[in-house]
This record gives sequence, C-alpha cells and structure tokens, in this order.
Amino acid sequence: MPESDDGGLAFATPFFTPDADRWDWIVAGDGKSVRDDGPSFRRGFGTAIGHHGELLQGVFEDETGRLHRGLVTLPLARLTSRATFKLTGALALTAFPESKTKAGLAARLTLDHLDIADGGTLCIESDIPVGHGYGSSTADVVASIRAVAAAHNAQLQPSRIGQLAVAAERASDAIAFDGHAVLFAQREGIVLEDFGGTLPPLLLVGFKPDGVQPIDTLQLAPARYDRLEIQQFRVLRALIARAVRYQDPDCLGLAATASARISQRHLPKQHFERVLEIAEEAGACGVQVAHSGSLLGILFDRTGRDLRHRAGRVAASAERSGFRDVEIHQINDDGAKW
Amino acid sequence: MVAFEADYFRALETPRMAVLSPNLFAAAFPLMKLMPARHILDRAAADGALQTGMRIVETTSGTFGMALALLAAARGYRLTLITASSLIDAKYRARLEGIGATIIITEDPDGNGDQLRRLQRLEDIRQKEMDCFWPQQYDNPGNALAYARLAELLVRRIGKIDCLVGCVGSGGSLCGTGAFLRAVFPHLVIIAVDTHRSVLFGQPAGKRMLRGLGNSLIPGNLRHDLVDEIHWVGAYPAFGEARRLLREHGIFQGPTSGAAALVAKWAARSRPGARVAVIMADEGHRYAETVFDDAWLASLPGWPGTPPSEPILLTAIEPASEADWTRFPWARRGLGQVLHARFRDEGFSR
Repeated sequence: MPESDDGGLAFATPFFTPDADRWDWIVAGDGKSVRDDGPSFRRGFGTAIGHHGELLQGVFEDETGRLHRGLVTLPLARLTSRATFKLTGALALTAFPESKTKAGLAARLTLDHLDIADGGTLCIESDIPVGHGYGSSTADVVASIRAVAAAHNAQLQPSRIGQLAVAAERASDAIAFDGHAVLFAQREGIVLEDFGGTLPPLLLVGFKPDGVQPIDTLQLAPARYDRLEIQQFRVLRALIARAVRYQDPDCLGLAATASARISQRHLPKQHFERVLEIAEEAGACGVQVAHSGSLLGILFDRTGRDLRHRAGRVAASAERSGFRDVEIHQINDDGAKW
Repeated sequence: MVAFEADYFRALETPRMAVLSPNLFAAAFPLMKLMPARHILDRAAADGALQTGMRIVETTSGTFGMALALLAAARGYRLTLITASSLIDAKYRARLEGIGATIIITEDPDGNGDQLRRLQRLEDIRQKEMDCFWPQQYDNPGNALAYARLAELLVRRIGKIDCLVGCVGSGGSLCGTGAFLRAVFPHLVIIAVDTHRSVLFGQPAGKRMLRGLGNSLIPGNLRHDLVDEIHWVGAYPAFGEARRLLREHGIFQGPTSGAAALVAKWAARSRPGARVAVIMADEGHRYAETVFDDAWLASLPGWPGTPPSEPILLTAIEPASEADWTRFPWARRGLGQVLHARFRDEGFSR
C-alpha cells in the first residue's frame, strides 16, 4: 500500500467499480483504511450520503414479470453519515452511539460476509436528521458497511452493500449507489433497473409540514397499490429512464409529481395541493415527497432561467403556507455556482 | 442460467418505432392484441379463474382471436372463437384452426359484424360448459390496463408526447394508452379514429367496409371523455394510406393502421410544434390479396376517386361514403353529452 507523508496514512481504493468510466469515485461515498499501530489495530472509514426521500416509489416488474416493491432515491450529497470502524482484536463488536443498533448489525453482517470472526468498535457521526425521510438510518448502515470493509481492505460492490444494508434494516434506500440512479427493490436489495447514469442537475426547495412527528419507517405498513397504480408505475419508471438518459429534468419532475400523487393515497401530506400550486406558479419541473417520511420538495431545472428568484419565491410561498425548515439544495450541480 | 419468459411472443407485441415525419412517431405492431390478451390471461391465471386445460371463449373478428390462439397453444388452453361471416376469410380461419382454435361463424345478414347474435352464441356455450373463461375484451378493464406497457415504451422512446392518435374498436388501446399518458402529460390531445356507420361515436350502425375498427355496440373500455377529437375514415382513404405506408416507408401494416397514419400525418402537419404518436395495430399479411392487390382495388366501385388530403369538419355527426374522411371536435365529452347536445341543437334549428 502506498504510504503518504502525513502520519503513515494509507488509502484504500474506493470500492471496486466494474465500469470505471461511470463508477469511478462515486460522488460522496467512499471508504478508506488507516493503519495505526500495526495490522490488528487498523481503522476503516466509511461515509454515506442522505437523501430527500424518493422521486418514485411503487411496484415494478422484473424481466420475468414478477412484481417487486422498488424506489428511486433523490440523493442529497450535503448530508452525510460518517462511520469509523476500529479493529480491537476482540470478538465483541461495539457500536457508538448505542442507539445505532442497525448500523451495528450491518457491521456484523459485513464481517460475516468477509468471513471474519473478530469484531471491533464502530463509531458513527451523522448530520442527517432522523425520522423525516432523509434516510439517516440507511446512511448510517451504508457508512458502517463501508468502514468495516475498508478496515479489512475489502472492496465491496454497491450491489453487495445494498444487499447487506437490506439484510441489516429490512428496508433500505438506494444510497449504496450514491448519485448513480437505480430502481432499487428496497426490501430485497436488488437492482430492478440501472438507469445508467446520474440524475440531471436539479435545484430542490425542500420543506416539511409544521408540527409533524418523526416517522419510524419500519412501523409503516407497506402501501397496497391497486392494479391501475401498478400499471401507471411503468410509465413513471420510463420517465425516470428518459430523464437520466437524456438529462431531462422535466421528465423527472413529471414522474416525481405523479408518484407523489399516488403516495397521497397511502401516506398523505397535508396541504399537498397547495404545494402543487406553488410549483406550477413558479414553473417548476415538479413536486417530490418522501414516500415514508414527511418531506416535500419542489424540483427545478438547474439550468433554468431566473432560478434564484423563482426558488426564492417558492421558498417564501412554502413558508407562508405554513411549512417549516425550508431549505434549498443543489443536486448534481456539477460544480456550477449559483 | 436460462431466463426465458413463460411464453415467447413478446416480440410480436413490441412495436417497431418509426419516425414518419420530424414530429410524428409510429408504433407499428406485428400483433398488438397480444398485449391485452396476455394481460387478461395472466390476471385470470393469477386469480385462479383460468386453469390449464380450461376452455377460453370469445367473440372476435380477428387479431384478438389470433393472440388468444397463440397463447392458448403455448399455455395449454382450449379455445372457441365466435365470429361473423362478414368478418373472416377462409385463410384466416384456416390459420386459427391450425393453431387449434374452434371457430363458430354466424351469418351476419346485415354486414355490420352481427355482434348481438355472436354474444348470444357465446352465452349458449357458457351455459353448456360452465367451466370456461370469457376474456371479454370489450368490457374487461384488463384490456385497457394492459396498454400501460405501450405507454411505457412510447415514453422511453419519445419522451414527452403531446398528441396520441389511434383507432377504436374495443377502446382498449387508445383509451388505455391515452389514460396512462395523460396521467403524466395532462395536456395530451387524444384523437380517436373510427369509420363511418360505426356506433362508437354516435353514428347509426350500418354496413362497414373497413374491418378491424369501429363497432356495432359500445364497449365498456371506450372512455369517450378522454377523446379530444374524433375522425371517421372511410375504407378507400384507409386502403390508400396503407399502400402509401408500404411504398414510402416500407411499413407493411393493415388498413386500420393506414387510417390511423392518415389522421396522424394530418395531426402532425397541423400541429408542427407538437410531438405526435400513432398506434398501428397489426401487419398487412391478412390483406395481401385485397388491399395490397392492385386488381382487387381496381374492382372496387369508384376506386381510387380523389383521395381526400384533409378531413371534412362536421358540425353534426353523420355517416359519409367509403371515400370520405370526416372529423368532429369531441372535446372530452361523454357520449350522452354529445348526443344530447346534438338533439338540442337540432330541435333549436327546427
């Protein structure tokens, strides 16, 4: 391993990527290992990003016609969870804070996958709010898997990380794929469709209703979709494929809005119609919600004209309509300033 | 690992996508009706209403029967199809029988498809053989629901769509595809294509020369309130356009596809900024000895006449000749609404 000159740090390559052109240094998530005092006390670091709920969530066919629950995540690179895994030479695995039991389980499952009996100490620091649909839990889990793998110099593919995440928390977002857009079966850990790229550059005005309580995702009963909805999801999936392939934010917005409308039947958001109006008035691409959280968002084409003004107006309208925590996020800004 | 589908007709229900003009995209199917037939049979099998060895019975004049016959052969069902003498030729009948279907033909003295008598025969069979499955393509919501797959394919290939053109027989393809597309493209203009003397959009029933679209009864899958504009295309312009599709684009589709293409080309011309998609349901093989035969065409009275270059705008719904092409602004109304408005206007003018 190459040694750098600042204290003997050694970096592992980011996790193995089969198609280097596309996957090289996937946006925010990486793992690296650091050698302290010899191999048995290595530390591994892993990070994972949060998200702003889903662009699309529903039920989708695989190639054989079988139906799977699936989702497309709207990643937010600004929010991260950071995990450190330190080898202690002992069998025990300890997670800090203690409340991060799913992350601890994910670490254990990763060790099992690597066929390693020894445990270690897992520490998680996260700035992702819990319980609103930002994916705090999956981010902790994915960061932990990456930290454990890095500590053992293992390179896990995103699909493997996704499977381990689902095994640890039963239902997991597609954050193991970072900015790469996939239709992910959140309860099975499999990719139903790889859209072959990242989402187009977007500006997101996000907010949540006033006075909402955090939601425990796993306590939510899975939505039961009717046949019309299941068939409609085909078209929404096609719109996302189109949006990624041709970097078309309008198609993305149409899919997100339709998915949000369907979600109203299952986990309704208050004042949803008002949000649609605000988006329409501002000429936004569409409206997006956390399908198992409280977040709502209005999506803009990042290359649109007069964006600062329009987004500002939307933010003010949202606040006037009683929403709180109104924030503006750049998604896949590609280095552009605004 | 070998990952084959349960049956192997997917290619036949997948359209070839052709660009006919800069803003006109055609979905040309080998056998579109496989899409609803497969969906309906899949659902019935999943619900337990259809089991291997059971009989399927349906009234159909053509391609839905062909789709059922292929699926029945592949999946081990028996099949009885009821058609009318005016609707089926000896060769098509032989093809269906070759796939194992039993064909029952009613007389059809009025030449309008004899739908009522066919349904009566179907009811007789169901009375005798309790354990049979009737797909009910006209009224089964699964027919329209199946077309989400077409809507998906169109969006993947075209993206945003502003105008959809297609023929109406059962209403499944146009209303199914249109409803799924309009759910994401609210401004989508839906143009329905029918033929003179079909009752679907308020004309009186009568003898029709163009087969494969139109109807002598109103199917449950036809949702009039989705339709922005209705065109009635006579047999002659439909035949002419089917020939033109072959000559100018190398697309060998049947005459109903010709009717749809005729209307869609006009729609694309008159809406230059809009992206127009047209559904073309099946291939032309069945018409090799008629529409695609010059001698047969020459034997038609008045053929070719002067082919219309654009439709006649009707102010009142009325039938026209087989050489005519008419249109009427339907404006997303129900059938009753339109007919009521007509009677009111007539009363007023008298």
